Amino acid sequence: MPELRKDPVIGRWVIIATERASRPDQFSNVSESGPVEKACPFCEGSESQTPPEIYAIRPKNTPRNSPGWDLRVVPSIAPFLRIEGELERRGKGLYDLMNGIGAHEIVIEANQHIANMADLSEEQIARVFSCYIDRMTDLEKDLRFKYVLIFKNYGWVAGGGRVKHSRSQMIATPVNPKRVKEELTGARHYYDYHERCIFCDLIKQELQAKDRLILDLDGFIAVSPFAARFPFETWILPKKHACDFTSLDQDGKKNLAKVMKTLLSKLKNGLNDPPYNYVLHTAPFRRQKLGYWRSIDNDYHWHIEIIPRLTRVAGFEWGTGFYICPLPPETAAKFLREVEV
Amino acid sequence: MSELRRDPIVGRWVIVDTDHPNKPEDFEYEQYIPKGGVCPFCYGNEAMTPPEIDCFRDPSTTANTPGWQVRVVPNKFPALQIEGELDRRGIGIYDMSNGVGAHEVLIETPYHNKDISDLSNPEVENILQMWCRRALDLTKDKRFKYIMLFRNYGKAAGASLEHPHTQMVALSMVPKNVAEEIKGAENYFDYRERCIFCDIIRQETQEKERIIFENKYFIAFCPFVSRFPFEIWIIPKKHAGYFCHMPAEEIPALATILIETIARVKKVFVNLSYNFILHSSPINGESGPEYYHWHIEFMPKLMRTAGFEWGSGFYLDPTSPELAAKYLKTVKE
Repeated sequence: MPELRKDPVIGRWVIIATERASRPDQFSNVSESGPVEKACPFCEGSESQTPPEIYAIRPKNTPRNSPGWDLRVVPSIAPFLRIEGELERRGKGLYDLMNGIGAHEIVIEANQHIANMADLSEEQIARVFSCYIDRMTDLEKDLRFKYVLIFKNYGWVAGGGRVKHSRSQMIATPVNPKRVKEELTGARHYYDYHERCIFCDLIKQELQAKDRLILDLDGFIAVSPFAARFPFETWILPKKHACDFTSLDQDGKKNLAKVMKTLLSKLKNGLNDPPYNYVLHTAPFRRQKLGYWRSIDNDYHWHIEIIPRLTRVAGFEWGTGFYICPLPPETAAKFLREVEV
Repeated sequence: MSELRRDPIVGRWVIVDTDHPNKPEDFEYEQYIPKGGVCPFCYGNEAMTPPEIDCFRDPSTTANTPGWQVRVVPNKFPALQIEGELDRRGIGIYDMSNGVGAHEVLIETPYHNKDISDLSNPEVENILQMWCRRALDLTKDKRFKYIMLFRNYGKAAGASLEHPHTQMVALSMVPKNVAEEIKGAENYFDYRERCIFCDIIRQETQEKERIIFENKYFIAFCPFVSRFPFEIWIIPKKHAGYFCHMPAEEIPALATILIETIARVKKVFVNLSYNFILHSSPINGESGPEYYHWHIEFMPKLMRTAGFEWGSGFYLDPTSPELAAKYLKTVKE
């Protein structure tokens, strides 16, 4: 009998096909690789091919936009949102709109031409997390912004571009994205009733049940969520409660880098280098509306959601918010636990 | 300057690129050309599917043989099973139930290569009649709260079989996005005592720039807050909560507008893959039909949806609906 499972945070139902159940290895990456690669503007030595850098981790004696760096952040060449201008909120009959103000930045994660974050060193990955924190702290100063969305598209099918150089994207938005709001609301409701963080409860239950646990390492866990939407969907959560990613300390960054590298390597080795997306879920900037965020420090818990793109998501899944997951998360977790890295 | 637009029903924000909009020729989409081969939905292969549930066929022919026009069969690999109890239960913080539901496939035509836009009006009317008939029948099962009718056409849109078909899933709960839509419409109705969709139709009819075409009973337009480029809604002008109660005289009008919509989109985008979803009121007491208005949402598969969209619920539309409507309005048949 297939199961209907409900996501405890945002209340989305998912069908887990337990019987039709496919073997894990049948999902290994068969997707198309996309068009031929273009010359890479992100490699060391090609600095002039990107817009001028906003941020870089580089030795003090090297000038900006020149070689010698370890990590660079540049504005997107085709930004979704633009930094200049006023928001100008307005209505048009029953519709609401505003100008597309925001920031859209690209984090170039390494100076060498490496495609998959799994192949970066732990030190390089830790630098990426440092950069996220620095950029978020800086963007928070711009009072027009409410949230910074950080994500990665790896591989053509996952929305990655023609250039195969490891990078992530940051988009600062003047509104809180819908998904984020739903999670915050779900977590707050749970807290109101139980006076506990739902994610902390989830971590406790997963550590006890163990069947969806992939990694339990240095203060972090990686799990296949109970109501997974996609085969091999994975969440990484810090065991210690924290609502805001920017509160992560030096050791935390190092440990997270180790967990991230281990997990991404397991996906790469076990599933034949699949395309994937990850998204950082963290608390919004908390400066407006006194009282509104009264419990967020206690009720929300930052985490990273990773989704390998192994099945085609039909339009109807986007349209209905209704997902059919062809692989039980327990099977996925077992498979990933056993993959050697 | 691009625009941020807020969906009036569910409150979702969409970035609409009005600065450097994509023209039709800018999209690199995966073209879909049927390959043919042995097909369980073609004439003569009726034994390859589970036995039919319902059918329009020549009176002289017997069930599960050729001679049919539209044929409904259970999905051979159903996501849900019809027999059994729901058995709702919790495991710690998690909630679950058995996957009870119906999963049916409506084979639209005996022709392997004919999309809806290649069929005649009476042929499409048959399909629509069968949609209504199956939905009315499934509604009788009180375990079901929602009937989801959708169509995946082409590989990129998730169709695993080439032969044109619609899928119908009867669910024991209301899917999340639908529930949000209902809630948004209900809030609007509570405040204004009007249906938000009727108001949208009024505003669109007045402004005209997003309307592709209309007939006596239906209008096809690109919604102000399109999540996808060239997204199209087809909606009845007269308020109605359930599509399956559609009056007989509206069926030919819906067939016409459906054929024309698909024909026009495929004229702009040759060999396009697409999805459409029929949105209708939940059934068996889950909501009242006065504030919800059934409609079809049509989504061409032109982009690779990336991490940004699913992580944020935020969408990026590179072609404004005003521009999309203009292309679709002016394309020559």
